[in-house]
Amino acid sequence: MKRRTLLLLAPATLARLRAQAQPDVILRAMADELDRSRSLRILSAEQPYYIEYAVFDGESCVVSATLGAIVRSGRMRYRLPRVQVRVGDHKLDQTNYVGTDFIPGPRYDVDDFPVDDSYDVLRHHLWLATDAAYRSAVEAFSRKRAALKNLSTSAQLSDFGPAEPLQLVLEPRPRRYDEAVWKSRAKRLSAVFLEFPQIANSTVDVDTSWSTHYFASSEGTRVRVPEGVTSITIRASGFCGDGMPVRNSIGIHALEPARLPADVELERQAREVAQSLAALTQAPIGESYVGPVLFEGVAAAQLFAEVLGKRLALPRRPVSNPGRPLPFAPGEFDGRTGSRVLPEWMDVIDDPGQTEWKGRPLLGHYRVDLEGVAPEKLTLVERGVLKSLLRTRQPVQGTSGSNGRARLPGMFGHKAAGFGNLFVHASQSVSGEVLRKKLIETCAQRGKPYGLIVRKMDFPSSASLEEIRRLVAGAAGSNSGRVSLPLLVYRVFADGREELVRGLKFRSLDTRSLKDITAASDESFAFDFLDHNAPFAVMGGASFVAETTVVAPSVLVDDVELEPLPADYARPPIVPAPQLK
Amino acid sequence: MLTFRAALLCAWATAALAQAPPPLVRILTAELDRNFRVLKEKGDPAPYYIAYSVTDVDAVSASAALGALKSSGVERVRVLDVTIRVGAPKLDNYHRLRGESAQFASMVALPVEDSEAAIRRRVWLETDRVYRRASERLIKVRSAQNVKAAEDDDSGDFSEEKPATHYSMPAPLTITAEQAAARVRLLSAGFAQRSGVVSSYVSFTAQRQIKYLVATDGTRLQHGRRFARIVIGARAKALDGTDIVLGDAFDAEDQSGLPKDAAIQASIGRIAGEVAAILRAPVAEPYVGPALLSGRAAAVLFHEIFGHRVEGHRQKDEADGQTFAKSVGSAVLPDFLSVVFDPTRRNAADAVLNGWYEYDDEGVAARPVTVVDKGILRTFLMSRSPLREFPNSNGHGRRAPGFTPVARQSNLIVESTRQQPEAKLRQDLIAEIRRQGKPYGLYLRDVTGGFTTTAREGLQAFKVMPVVVYRVFADGRPDELIRGADVVGTPLASFSKIVATSNRFEVFNGYCGAESGNVPVAAVAPGMLISELEVQMKPRSQDRPPLLPPPGSAQ
Repeated sequence: MKRRTLLLLAPATLARLRAQAQPDVILRAMADELDRSRSLRILSAEQPYYIEYAVFDGESCVVSATLGAIVRSGRMRYRLPRVQVRVGDHKLDQTNYVGTDFIPGPRYDVDDFPVDDSYDVLRHHLWLATDAAYRSAVEAFSRKRAALKNLSTSAQLSDFGPAEPLQLVLEPRPRRYDEAVWKSRAKRLSAVFLEFPQIANSTVDVDTSWSTHYFASSEGTRVRVPEGVTSITIRASGFCGDGMPVRNSIGIHALEPARLPADVELERQAREVAQSLAALTQAPIGESYVGPVLFEGVAAAQLFAEVLGKRLALPRRPVSNPGRPLPFAPGEFDGRTGSRVLPEWMDVIDDPGQTEWKGRPLLGHYRVDLEGVAPEKLTLVERGVLKSLLRTRQPVQGTSGSNGRARLPGMFGHKAAGFGNLFVHASQSVSGEVLRKKLIETCAQRGKPYGLIVRKMDFPSSASLEEIRRLVAGAAGSNSGRVSLPLLVYRVFADGREELVRGLKFRSLDTRSLKDITAASDESFAFDFLDHNAPFAVMGGASFVAETTVVAPSVLVDDVELEPLPADYARPPIVPAPQLK
Repeated sequence: MLTFRAALLCAWATAALAQAPPPLVRILTAELDRNFRVLKEKGDPAPYYIAYSVTDVDAVSASAALGALKSSGVERVRVLDVTIRVGAPKLDNYHRLRGESAQFASMVALPVEDSEAAIRRRVWLETDRVYRRASERLIKVRSAQNVKAAEDDDSGDFSEEKPATHYSMPAPLTITAEQAAARVRLLSAGFAQRSGVVSSYVSFTAQRQIKYLVATDGTRLQHGRRFARIVIGARAKALDGTDIVLGDAFDAEDQSGLPKDAAIQASIGRIAGEVAAILRAPVAEPYVGPALLSGRAAAVLFHEIFGHRVEGHRQKDEADGQTFAKSVGSAVLPDFLSVVFDPTRRNAADAVLNGWYEYDDEGVAARPVTVVDKGILRTFLMSRSPLREFPNSNGHGRRAPGFTPVARQSNLIVESTRQQPEAKLRQDLIAEIRRQGKPYGLYLRDVTGGFTTTAREGLQAFKVMPVVVYRVFADGRPDELIRGADVVGTPLASFSKIVATSNRFEVFNGYCGAESGNVPVAAVAPGMLISELEVQMKPRSQDRPPLLPPPGSAQ
């Protein structure tokens, strides 16, 4: 007993002593090599004006199960570097050019760093990674200047905005992983589907990662912050009698594994995914519809995440080679700052500093972004009017400087902006029940036999890559087509009766639809998801994710159009499903 | 040959009687029977053959650089490949349409536990998916038959083979990720402080592969093997931008068969020394003249320029160059050379052979195949895709999980009746340099690999990338190391230039990549004297070595 106490105390004390005596070996190697690299110079070419090193030092453990059996399990330790060298100056450097990301530089096999804490070997790797980044920057810069010579451009924005140097060195989180516990949890959750023979396929993936984000820049920023996320992803799919494929899914996340819901709650959620899907296989196909739609519970938060949140960052048009086509779509909010985007009784705030909401942990909490900038609370929409946007250190029209929202890798030498905890507030609200009555009344006034309630969107999507490709191709050229499919859609009749329907998609639903919000509920719902750059934030679509939460009330939106999906699906399997027991 | 087959059949019969099917075989068989029965009754077109193949991989890996661990991990996966043939053996959905080979498999992950409900679900879904695609392609194949000109080779699409039943189990892995990590940490430190080496690594992989195959023709297999491999590599850059990449690999069945640390350290020292020497060496010039190939270099040359051209399915692919399609019974190599492909052999020249297996990926038992006998082409490497003259497989239908099996190489063994001691071969080289009046000849000591094109549209050419090449002078000067040489040529011309071989055989183990994925192979050959070999300059990058000196070095 005594011994155990000793063991519990000792590592922490030792770590503290060591931290005082000798700074972190990774930070030390980063700082030292950073200093030396300032003198990099190719004959007659630019010296670096800015260098940043980021290292993600972590471990990721995966367990995947189906119907109570383990399909895959694995564990991987990693230390991934991201080195950027900028040449030129803040006004004009090698970024923001179509070719910026496509000049590989010399090959030195330094895409991953040693996981052992060897100062010398880390420096050796940083040395080579910096050399490669510098040369690729010099090459990109000369190509960019050549392209600019032949372009008649109006006044160019700066390429890199200012930021205050930050010093934030926190203790890394201890790694605790009991593979047996996670295996048995994945098995138990996936075994829920043994009760649902009508569901063709199901998987439960448990992904736990611990990571420490290291960041050092030539401006003096030094960061070490613990990160990591644990995700349980439950996916299921099946066929209807006519062969239409249907699916359902849920992602349950927590920044710390201990803050995940209890097993009983997890099993309830798995069962709910199964039950809704089983009901979908029996549901009738929905018909074309134009009218009010109630986005209830998490469906509203999903709607705000995708239609508002994902578009609160403006992409910047890169310098392109003259005469070459550039597939670039400006952001939907381009030039709309100061205009109304929501009803005047709604506000939107992003607050990454908040860790809890009504006792529930918030997934979108973070301390520092990918550019070493600490985020502050930001009012994005005030009384319905767009006030500001999510920004990185890449200046976009009408702004300068970062507000600490560089959360994902981006394009053309930049990071992409994203939100943390997005709060949608309604100053006018009614109870959920009244909201539902409003829907029924509006439908009755317009002589509609029923109204529609959406309770779940397919966001992030659990579609297969093949299906995503089809959806993206089908949506080419239209904004509305880029919205996820509604997963759980109910007809609600005048007498309050509800009927689940399947196979519908939105025909028009974009940022403009948000101005048609006519009412909101007094209760809000939180929705966590892992954001990344792939379409529909498809589950598992990228290895680099930003943890986010949206908190929003249910909303009634007028004039939403839905239509049936094209009936291009195959017939159901000829061979009936095998027995489950 | 007949006797040999009969003997094997007896062995199968005994095994079948003696053993009950292992759990996964039983589960797969149950689902196979059910799907086949229903699809035969209700499917249009009906399948005539269904096979479920499962590859179960247990792997431990680690890699390190300069004494520090870069990665280490443990992985366990089971993947399923479903084969469904609709139509008839004469013409089915796998029929090759000019240049386009059929691909239906998709590598579905199966539970690693023998859980019947979970496994049967996934197998059922994948059978449905493959069946749909198989029936779609049959329509395409049939309409192509109606509108296109007749093909040269009208042999069918699938041969009938005696179904095998065999259950064996390779021993489990006996190394942990920690042990693997400790070994690569130790070994990789050998590259530290080596001048000229910019980056280096040592990696270790141990794998146990269990292969299962159940098919509607009665095939029931469970077999497999283990692999252990250490790879060492170093990269450097010359001032003119030439990339120098040197490496070596050690293969064995498990870690106990691998060389001891001291032997690997010696190899690391040799490679580091060669890197430094190559950095100082003069650049190769375009050259045609006599050359001496080490056994390893000759082995790679034969694998690339000969082996790929005797893969059976290429002989009836209308888009393929078909170098040897009409050459059976004719001389294709000098009469002192024979070539045997022997997947049953596990060792040669004091080394393990990487290309062995008990059954190929279509369930056909491995057997030695003499493809060239004293210079005369006798047969091709055959999968179950028949040729007019060769209606049966000879156990070379291979693939990586997720691909459709085609004829692939196993252990290529070059045999020679004109063997000479190495010293004599070198004397012959010098005589040949004098006879041709050349300033020097070449000695190709080591190669990294090579590639070849066999497509009719492409050049029927090959390229082999030697990394350690010496100029050999006729006037007694010592050999001179050069850098930046690639060997190029056309296959038919090159074979006729082989003059003699040494009596020292060397083994090149590797993984061969082609349309059915990466498969383990080996090539064994003696050193060879070639009267005329063409060398061209290697492409090189414009980059210079790193601008700053290594950290910590005197600046």
